Amino acid sequence: MSDRGDNGGKEGADAPSLEERATHTGSKIGDRRVRIIRPAAGEFRRHGGHYVATPRVDAPQSGFGRAYEGARRILFGARLTSEEEAGERLSKKTGLAILASDNISSSAYATEEAMRVLAIAGSAALALTMPIAIAVCVVLAVVILSESRVIRAYPNGGGSYIVAKDNHGVIPGLIAASALLIDYVLTVAVSSAAGVAAISSFVPAVHDHRVLWSLALIALLTVGNLRGIREAGVIFAAPTYIYVLSLLGLICYGLFRIVFGDAPVAVTPRDAFEPTGLEMLTPLIVLRAFASGSVGLTGSEAIANGVPNFKPPESRNAVITLVWMGTIFGTLFLGLTYLATHIGIVPDQSELETVNSMLTRSLVGDGTPFYYLVQLSTAIILLLAANTGFSGFPRLASVLADDRFMPRQFAFRGERLAFSFGIIALALMSAAVLAAFHGSVTELVPLYTIGVFAAFTLSQSGLVRRWWRLRNPGWRLSVFINSFGTLVTGTVLVVVVYTKFFYGAWMVLLVMPILVGLLFAINRHYRTVHDALLLDRPDEPIPVLKPPVVLIPVARLDRATLQAVAFARSISPTVRAVHIASTAESAEEFARRWRRWTTEVPLDGSESPYRSLLQPLLRYIERIDERDDRPITVVLAEFVPRNWWEWILHSQTALRLKLSLLFRPNTIVIDVPYHTEDTGHGVTPRGPEDSSR
Amino acid sequence: MQLKRILVPLAGTSVDVEVLRVAIALGKPAKAEIVAIHVIEVRWNLPLDAVLEAESERGEGVLDDAVKVAEQAGAHIETELVQAREAAAAIIDTARDRKSDLIVIGMPFRKRLGRVYVGKTVQGVYVGAHCAVLAYRQEETR
Repeated sequence: MSDRGDNGGKEGADAPSLEERATHTGSKIGDRRVRIIRPAAGEFRRHGGHYVATPRVDAPQSGFGRAYEGARRILFGARLTSEEEAGERLSKKTGLAILASDNISSSAYATEEAMRVLAIAGSAALALTMPIAIAVCVVLAVVILSESRVIRAYPNGGGSYIVAKDNHGVIPGLIAASALLIDYVLTVAVSSAAGVAAISSFVPAVHDHRVLWSLALIALLTVGNLRGIREAGVIFAAPTYIYVLSLLGLICYGLFRIVFGDAPVAVTPRDAFEPTGLEMLTPLIVLRAFASGSVGLTGSEAIANGVPNFKPPESRNAVITLVWMGTIFGTLFLGLTYLATHIGIVPDQSELETVNSMLTRSLVGDGTPFYYLVQLSTAIILLLAANTGFSGFPRLASVLADDRFMPRQFAFRGERLAFSFGIIALALMSAAVLAAFHGSVTELVPLYTIGVFAAFTLSQSGLVRRWWRLRNPGWRLSVFINSFGTLVTGTVLVVVVYTKFFYGAWMVLLVMPILVGLLFAINRHYRTVHDALLLDRPDEPIPVLKPPVVLIPVARLDRATLQAVAFARSISPTVRAVHIASTAESAEEFARRWRRWTTEVPLDGSESPYRSLLQPLLRYIERIDERDDRPITVVLAEFVPRNWWEWILHSQTALRLKLSLLFRPNTIVIDVPYHTEDTGHGVTPRGPEDSSR
Repeated sequence: MQLKRILVPLAGTSVDVEVLRVAIALGKPAKAEIVAIHVIEVRWNLPLDAVLEAESERGEGVLDDAVKVAEQAGAHIETELVQAREAAAAIIDTARDRKSDLIVIGMPFRKRLGRVYVGKTVQGVYVGAHCAVLAYRQEETR
């Protein structure tokens, strides 16, 4: 004996719930027990007064679904719960590999970029490479010092965007954000193109299909990052450390030889610059060399941006990683520059061989295993430098999405807790840029680095305002450091824009304001929607509505129609069916059949001589709506085929009507699906005596 | 004796896994229907159907774990969560309603005053059940 459904004495007892309670009497007087019936046991478990969906809920039901899930699991890994987020955080070692690879990899070409500009003024001008390298390292030290202050002041990430927005206002914040977003896209495009270029130096056949190879590389990085940031770190850690250790070994070996008076003879390039130079050594050339060498400053933003990715204590770990990054880059950059200038390496005018390659050959000899180790690890780290974009862009986009400047999808974490939407969007945009520039590093490079320096300048000047406003102990030193940083990065920005403008920098300067406008427009939309949806007060009463006017478009008299009419009558007493016929005869015939079936639901028949269906129906709904202030509810009877391929055998009128009515105000559209296996569940057929009512 | 229906009361103690495995092993030859039951004993100062969040959550956990153990053993079990004043009466009545042939009930190894303590639920089921009862006592060393 049981007495079911008291639902724990709560209100809404007849509403179905994931839990029902049925009282049973026992065999002895007074023995009663309450069975807690859990139809969804295994799919939902109770936790702290609410339900938690178990992995079984997400488990695919069909064979195709299971196969897809299996493939997805192999490619991207098993799903992770939100609680596992802390386990997905980065340690300092993996953080260095994943967030600093862009910066560290710059040491592979920063020396050469500076030398290449100076070489225009002749071999003698190359002596300035070392002072320029020291200047770049000083700027890097200032940037690191400044970024560490950003990390401590803004531990939730966001980097330059947050600093600029907080201290300068929304528009400068958005300028910093759009500059960084553009730069992250370009980082991926340039790095993948540079990586493929490095490979094509060994395997010339790759050069003919470099766009395809670069796209494949972006796809590989996308999959790696969709697997989650920790796994991506594991994948990318080894190449980064191999590169760092091999170059440190090279530098130590070179210094050892120089100290012990065994300085090697420099390898000469196949296409050397004119020793006497093509131009006079002017301050502009020195500035340009400095700007080119400053590519090494890119990438330090990623750490400040990705503070929440670190294991706790996040800020401390991020600052330590930032200092490691700067130290490693500075050591490699200064070491390589010292060796290159001391030995007398001259850059190759036609870019047939890199300065680092010539330096390595000079020190360890051509064709030695160590030479190949250095070259191969350089190629791999250049490829992986693109990953800095993959860690920076999604994180910044999520911060922007949280602030409602980007679509909300960018803030959602995927099944592997990565910002999947941002990763895929970045992959698509960088792939498009890469294809548009034919995978050419030379064409892409002029667009690069403007964003980083614009963001640095805005964030450093923002910090100056912050220190000035707060005036905490030691604020004068902070103001001095960040003012110096603003001056230096601002100068670099001006030089970079000036020297690269006609080579493509104008495109970035054009896109940036458009992007700022777009971000602003997105925010305005969200604010409008928020204002429209906001409740006037938290205890706003539920409005009492009059039952709606229900219209049921009917094509034929069948089970689907019967179910839709039954449902319509359950929500309102005012129900009207409407039938559009192509001829007067069929209209009359349908009306006759309808009257024979029921007289309770009036039918409006309409003839459409041109056989159009949607327009007469929409116009009919409009006319009814004009004459009644109640909301119009359109109940659609929709037949749902059993198999997906059967869809093409049906006209999908309900679907088309649904789409037409989607944006119509004051209109509720209810779809009553009819499946072939439906048995009219919940529809109680009436006997003849009921129809008289 | 062909065992068609076996009821396994689980209290959320260390003996649960063993007693469930015993029941699965006993039921396997005749493909018996195995039902794991957890009874929440409701204090007399509360209504019988009171919503006891913490106890329900624990009970669901006990039964979910039982399902996992059964799946690992290659068996399918049903579960039932019940609130009653006394666990023994609820187990006996459930066994009667479900027409169980056997109740397999576990006893964690406990001693009181130097003697093995059976507990009132096991004792109540042993005395009052209409069907066969198999009481499984955990090893002393555990």
